Amino acid sequence: MFPLRGCGRQIAASFTKRQFPLARFSGDSAAPGIPHFDVVVIGGGHAGTEAAAAAARCGSRTLLLTHRVDTIGQMSCNPSFGGIGKGHLMREVDALDGLCSRICDQSGVHYKVLNRRKGPAVWGLRAQIDRKLYKQNMQKEILNTPLLTVQEGAVEDLILAEPEPGHTGKCRVRGVVLVDGSKVYADSVILTTGTFLRGMIVIGLEMHPAGRLGDQPSIGLAQTLEKLGFVVGRLKTGTPPRIAKESINFSILNKQTPDNPPIPFSFINETVWIKPEDQLPCYLTHTNPRVDEIVLENLHLNSHVKETTRGPRYCPSIESKVLRFPNRVHQVWLEPEGVDSDLIYPQGLSVTLPAELQEKMITCIRGLEKAKMIQPGYGVQYDYLDPRQITPSLETHLVQRLFFAGQINGTTGYEEAAAQGVIAGINASLRVRHKPPFVVSRTEGYIGVLIDDLTTLGTNEPYRMFTSRAEFRLSLRPDNADSRLTFRGYNEAGCVSQQRYERASWMKSSIQECISMLKSIEFSSSKWKKLIPEASISTDKSVPVRALDVLKYEEVDMELLAKAIPEPLKKYTECRELAERLKIEATYESVLFHQQQEIKNIQRDEALQLPKDLDYLTLRGVSLSSEVREKLHFSRPQTIGAASRIPGVTPAAVINLLRFVRTAQQRPVAATESPKTGQCLCDTEKLEEQQL
Amino acid sequence: MWRGLWSLVARAARGPCRPCTRQGSGAPAPGSGATIFALSSGQGRCGIAVIRTSGPASGHALRSLTAPRDLPPARRACLRLLTDPRSEEPLDRALVLWFPGPQSFTGEDCAEFHVHGGPAVVSGVLQALGRVPGLRPAEAGEFTRRAFAHGKLSLTEVEGLADLIHAETEAQRRQALRQLDGELGHLCRGWAETLTKALAHVEAYIDFGEDDNLEEGVLERADSQVQELEVALNAHLRDARRGQRLRSGAHVVVTGPPNAGRKPVSIVSPEPGTTRDVLETPVDLAGFPVLLSDTAGLREGEGPVEQEGVRRARERLEQADLILAVLDASDLASPSSCNFLDTVVTSAIAQSHNGNSQRLLLVLNKSDLLLAGDLDLSPELPPHLLLSCLTGEGLDGLLEALRKELTAVCGDPSAGPPLLTRARHQHHLQGCLEALGHYKQAKDVALAAEALRIARGHLACLTSGGGTEEILDIIFRDFCVGK
Repeated sequence: MFPLRGCGRQIAASFTKRQFPLARFSGDSAAPGIPHFDVVVIGGGHAGTEAAAAAARCGSRTLLLTHRVDTIGQMSCNPSFGGIGKGHLMREVDALDGLCSRICDQSGVHYKVLNRRKGPAVWGLRAQIDRKLYKQNMQKEILNTPLLTVQEGAVEDLILAEPEPGHTGKCRVRGVVLVDGSKVYADSVILTTGTFLRGMIVIGLEMHPAGRLGDQPSIGLAQTLEKLGFVVGRLKTGTPPRIAKESINFSILNKQTPDNPPIPFSFINETVWIKPEDQLPCYLTHTNPRVDEIVLENLHLNSHVKETTRGPRYCPSIESKVLRFPNRVHQVWLEPEGVDSDLIYPQGLSVTLPAELQEKMITCIRGLEKAKMIQPGYGVQYDYLDPRQITPSLETHLVQRLFFAGQINGTTGYEEAAAQGVIAGINASLRVRHKPPFVVSRTEGYIGVLIDDLTTLGTNEPYRMFTSRAEFRLSLRPDNADSRLTFRGYNEAGCVSQQRYERASWMKSSIQECISMLKSIEFSSSKWKKLIPEASISTDKSVPVRALDVLKYEEVDMELLAKAIPEPLKKYTECRELAERLKIEATYESVLFHQQQEIKNIQRDEALQLPKDLDYLTLRGVSLSSEVREKLHFSRPQTIGAASRIPGVTPAAVINLLRFVRTAQQRPVAATESPKTGQCLCDTEKLEEQQL
Repeated sequence: MWRGLWSLVARAARGPCRPCTRQGSGAPAPGSGATIFALSSGQGRCGIAVIRTSGPASGHALRSLTAPRDLPPARRACLRLLTDPRSEEPLDRALVLWFPGPQSFTGEDCAEFHVHGGPAVVSGVLQALGRVPGLRPAEAGEFTRRAFAHGKLSLTEVEGLADLIHAETEAQRRQALRQLDGELGHLCRGWAETLTKALAHVEAYIDFGEDDNLEEGVLERADSQVQELEVALNAHLRDARRGQRLRSGAHVVVTGPPNAGRKPVSIVSPEPGTTRDVLETPVDLAGFPVLLSDTAGLREGEGPVEQEGVRRARERLEQADLILAVLDASDLASPSSCNFLDTVVTSAIAQSHNGNSQRLLLVLNKSDLLLAGDLDLSPELPPHLLLSCLTGEGLDGLLEALRKELTAVCGDPSAGPPLLTRARHQHHLQGCLEALGHYKQAKDVALAAEALRIARGHLACLTSGGGTEEILDIIFRDFCVGK
């Protein structure tokens, strides 16, 4: 058997099906007998599971190290997935064959698309999820993923070696050391430790070290990272108390019913697991002045609120809501935790008061008068690493082959974590195989916006996705995530299954085919009016009107259009998803034309790669101010586009950089320093030629 | 606007902004496909000014301004009458050159207009170009950047590019700053603030409206803000006189009660005339093109001819940029003087306090007839200048005061490139207004927000800012969002 000397249970997924090339263990520095993986992922949360599964999908032998196997897939905060912006991320994770969307389709208890009336570009797929089911389904998925091994164990240190030439970084990670002193070698390591880096839980004035209620924090690892020179910051977040379901008087509260039929998160699912009528409702109640009083009277008992550590502005605790928006009534959503769960999650009531005061506060809320608190709310303070220290492939600048994903990078939310997990998993795997990194541009997806914001601008509060962060919101829609990412995932990363690839291809070609059909069908507006009397088609223009323009009318959909012109449109209404996507494409057609032009300009800048190993602090022959040098040195932008987005990097500096790159290309000496550099310069050159 | 590397440099001119945010997408013909124009000779007054265009619409622009003529032969100077394509007003008789790409400075189709260097002509041609579809004012260094992109500059020439861009953006920034101190800057900042707030509220409605309890009526408030902004922008743009002052000159009207001695007119106007009717003369006054009018003495009644004269005089007064009110210093107590002070002077001053741009200079003539202390008798007199046409005393003071007032009305032509920025202003304000129109039509909130983003991008080109963070700051300040 494979000799894993772990400090806990070891669960090898499809272990027996695989044959390990034993020769790997006698590799350069690896001692015989010490396990060696292509990719080791530390942490089994939402980033860790996606990273491990993605690396394995890409064909890397992967080890997932977690404190406890039974916490894999745990939703430690809200019992829901998705939302506005977050639903976009989930669709993109799914487009890369990630897990969370599919697991949510198997575990939701209340599916509801938000923003239904606000235009398909900003629809927010969301669902209340059964915690237990999610965990079960995620564990089943993870433990049955080919090439993926799961082991319990806490990582205490990293094994480091000399750096590889041609890449930035002062050393290279070779593996990890567990708490019991045992080692695991790895060609890439992904750190997804969430809030565990020097995690500290706060209730009232009590503070005790923990990554999550009941789990030990990682202190040794935090020290290792700090010693390596990583810049560390501190953030805080919180979670509300949990309430016994049977103690709530729902009959006097507003009931929110789910969608019927529910819309699945995943592109490959047509339906979700639950029958529409079996879904559970949510209820709405509100805070009142008495809640404010309790909060304000007890601020002295609340150290989490007093701390200066930055918390999120958009997901504030009830204390910050009361302090910042006094004399207001705030919403509290009562959300089910699962089909057979006795718990209710009071969304909006995140609180760090001492437990008995939390209970007192809860019982003065309408419907909760007799509520029984099962678990108090608490705050978490934790270390995060300044994300400007990682590249867009999520590899660190300092340590080669070390990747960070999830909350460790300063984000908040399951979906943000999952999105980074997929990208880190793919890139850790590509790195092992010496393939170019897989980077999603901000013109291509919310994943790109998220990672570009983090790596070029950093963050000083827990970063959450909003649709307002995306410049190309009308192009980056939940409905078309597959056509944006699935093909790249399949071709460049190999992380996408054949089945998904084929489905996405069929969808894409059907849409293209039908759109050109709709462009070619033209009638006078008066004829259209006769064909589709339901639509308020304006007849003031005498030019012929395309079917595509008719489809833009709010009241027209493919169904209606095909009824008027069955041949050749009928066949495009057979697949509901296709028909809906055609309608959406038509809605945004005219604006998207402009947006495409702009996207091209940005992509042109992003194709201008900067050599990875430039030492900006000492670089000669290029005129840059020391301030700009420092900014470039810290963020290490990979393209001219990214450099130009760093605050403080002036346009003149950008031109100077470009000139430097072109000059260097004419001096082969500079180019031979690294093969990578040479390649970048060639890319630059090609691009310049295209512009001519 | 995020126009890729070749427009990045424009950022500096706008001051700090969160750069990942696109500014003003979808402005007419974005990206490198746009045709740009700029005054490429020096600013200020000069004999000949050269205005250049570069981009695919250059030929169209050249034809539009020289209609009905065809394009001149390539690279040969031709004399053409330039007219404003919209108003068909003649602008100047100018040398034009046509450089079809790639054999041009930038490698694209280029046109050059060598016009007479007065600010009025230059401003007129720039504004006319701005109205040709597909044309927009160039950003700093943009011609050079295009030349670079098309391989028209050698590497050594490129070395100077960064410096040039730095210098140009600096100049533009200084210019923008200068302008931002002024009335226009104040207006723009106010508009940008309103728009940003409206956009923030629409964005909040999109990102948080469903799940959080935003107050009722967020969208309605945004709608009314947009409405207000539209009215303000429309009024501003309709005030075409502002743009025309430098071209056709500021309107200066000399008026006063009969026999007050409106003779100082003769100082600047070579033409004597009867003052029964309004008399208009284009003159160069302290370096400014001025359309000078002398009105009939404002006296009611007395025959149809005089009445018509008075009617015309009143009409003129209403249209004036600057009123030169002349009173007889020795006759201030007379009924006609008092009447004039009450009706014309006081009302004009009151209006200018209400934000009306009309200005007034009060001149007390015949100061030679005054005895010391005479003026103390009428302390309620508004600020005034003393003049004696007889002795010439106070004449220099009057000219200096006129120069100051005209500077305020027309902008100081020696203080940098106001002409260019005026064209930029017009371009972006028009673009903003168009986008606001799209906002109102959009049924889909995402499309509506996109229109506001575009509108804000245009204003951000005139002020600065325009980042996402600014929006989020407003959202989190104004709303308690998140659960």
